[in-house]
Amino acid sequence: MKPGLRGFFDSMEEYFADPGQVDRLYAAHPGWEASRSRVAIYGRLVRHHVNATLEKLFPLTRGGVGEERWEELVRAYEALRPGTSFELNRMGEGFPGFLADEAERRGLPGYVPALARFEWTDFEVFSSMEPVPERVERLTVNPTLAVLEHPFRLCAYVRAKGKGEPAAGQEMALLWRHPETLVTMYMAASDRALLAVKMAMEGLTPEGVASATGVPEADIRAALEECVKDGLVLAPG
Amino acid sequence: MPSSYARRHGLKPLGAGIGLRREFYAQLPETTRALDWVEIIPENFLTLGGRPQRALEACAERWTVLSHGVALNVGGPGPLDEDYLSRLKALVERVDAPFFSDHLCYTRLGGVYLYDLLPLPFSEEAVEHVVPRVREVMDRVERPFLLENPSYYARMPGGTLEEATFLRHVAEQADCGLLLDVNNVYVNSQNHGYEPRAFVDALPLERVVQIHLAGHERQPDVILDTHGAEVCDEVWELYRYVLERTGPVSTLIEWDQDIPSMDAVLDEADRARAVLAELEAR
Ligand SMILES: [Fe+2]
Repeated sequence: MKPGLRGFFDSMEEYFADPGQVDRLYAAHPGWEASRSRVAIYGRLVRHHVNATLEKLFPLTRGGVGEERWEELVRAYEALRPGTSFELNRMGEGFPGFLADEAERRGLPGYVPALARFEWTDFEVFSSMEPVPERVERLTVNPTLAVLEHPFRLCAYVRAKGKGEPAAGQEMALLWRHPETLVTMYMAASDRALLAVKMAMEGLTPEGVASATGVPEADIRAALEECVKDGLVLAPG
Repeated sequence: MPSSYARRHGLKPLGAGIGLRREFYAQLPETTRALDWVEIIPENFLTLGGRPQRALEACAERWTVLSHGVALNVGGPGPLDEDYLSRLKALVERVDAPFFSDHLCYTRLGGVYLYDLLPLPFSEEAVEHVVPRVREVMDRVERPFLLENPSYYARMPGGTLEEATFLRHVAEQADCGLLLDVNNVYVNSQNHGYEPRAFVDALPLERVVQIHLAGHERQPDVILDTHGAEVCDEVWELYRYVLERTGPVSTLIEWDQDIPSMDAVLDEADRARAVLAELEAR
């Protein structure tokens, strides 16, 4: 590449790192006559893509930190240059970790990093490339299943669309994509959900579980059926 | 008069298409309305499973699917993204797209994607830089490739060429096709004060294999290429002007923001199809 073009890219890289510094960009190109307001459109657009993507991926996290702090967090995160993938949603991947690192210094509510991780996992499960078999030979755990653990009741909080603060209390959250509707399902792990997952992973039959636990076989079958209907586990036939 | 690039590559005009946007994932594959082909933004399908894949599969069963990328970064300073290119090749093969396209712009600096179609300076240096990269893309993906004329709000520093000359030099030296975005021609002509028909006349029209039509947003001192409105009358007129010189060309309605309904987008595609039919009947 010729030095002139190299210099152009370098100056643009510097500009996009801090679109407020438009003077520096013009200083790098004496005699450049383009209108500043037109050039500024690009600074705004590039910033807008980061803002809009994070807002879309983390709506409840945004609500939890409040508008002013959200803006600061987005700016600070953008400075870490998160656009490493051609798929723009991927820029959200490091955001929960970033919030965890920043939580104490910025006095974020304690649940915020966990909530961001929940929202990111929701997206990851929704868009998982994990192949989900149309037919299975035996009871199978939904391959999109993700498990999160945190000291807040986030499932109820997310279902209520983030009113107030989530209640404290240890939670194991299960998130998976429904094989037919393709939406993200989530629940605080219940005994029946964990039983269904265990049966699928260990190849246990309802008869076997009934005789080992003394729970009526009909109850075990009913629990299993519900988990199959929700798509948490996949059953043959 | 089919374009010579299309003829050399055995590409036939496909009629009028619309984009498979997220809002249409459930509806579009079921539509009973006329539709000749479908365009996808490959970035929405390369790494995202679930709904996009189901919609894509259903569309590919019914229509020709064309891939129109936004992240190729063919004008950018860094090396082409290997992972992106190999996934793109696999996708183009999977849907058996007769050709694929992206924009004559850059989208990545210092290894970081900026997710915007950023204009290059119109210079011989930039031509020299882009041409081998376009060739590399074609060698990798092994299908005919079109470059789109992007919209731009400011001429970049270091430019020495007319915009049409810049496009011509890149397309001719790389030997690729052109995706002529007629709305971009109109928007650029208004924003930079030139005559859109003269601009069209200066293009290598024999390389035009696809056309984009879209709406824009008129602000007091600039027109923004938003893809968020109906195609305006001036753009429809310019579209006719182009077709009179190229013959029938596969035409896409781009509507990406503030989409009122899928029917509204299909209405625009109907209108494009009618123009194509009218000119063909002459
Ligand atoms: Fe376009």
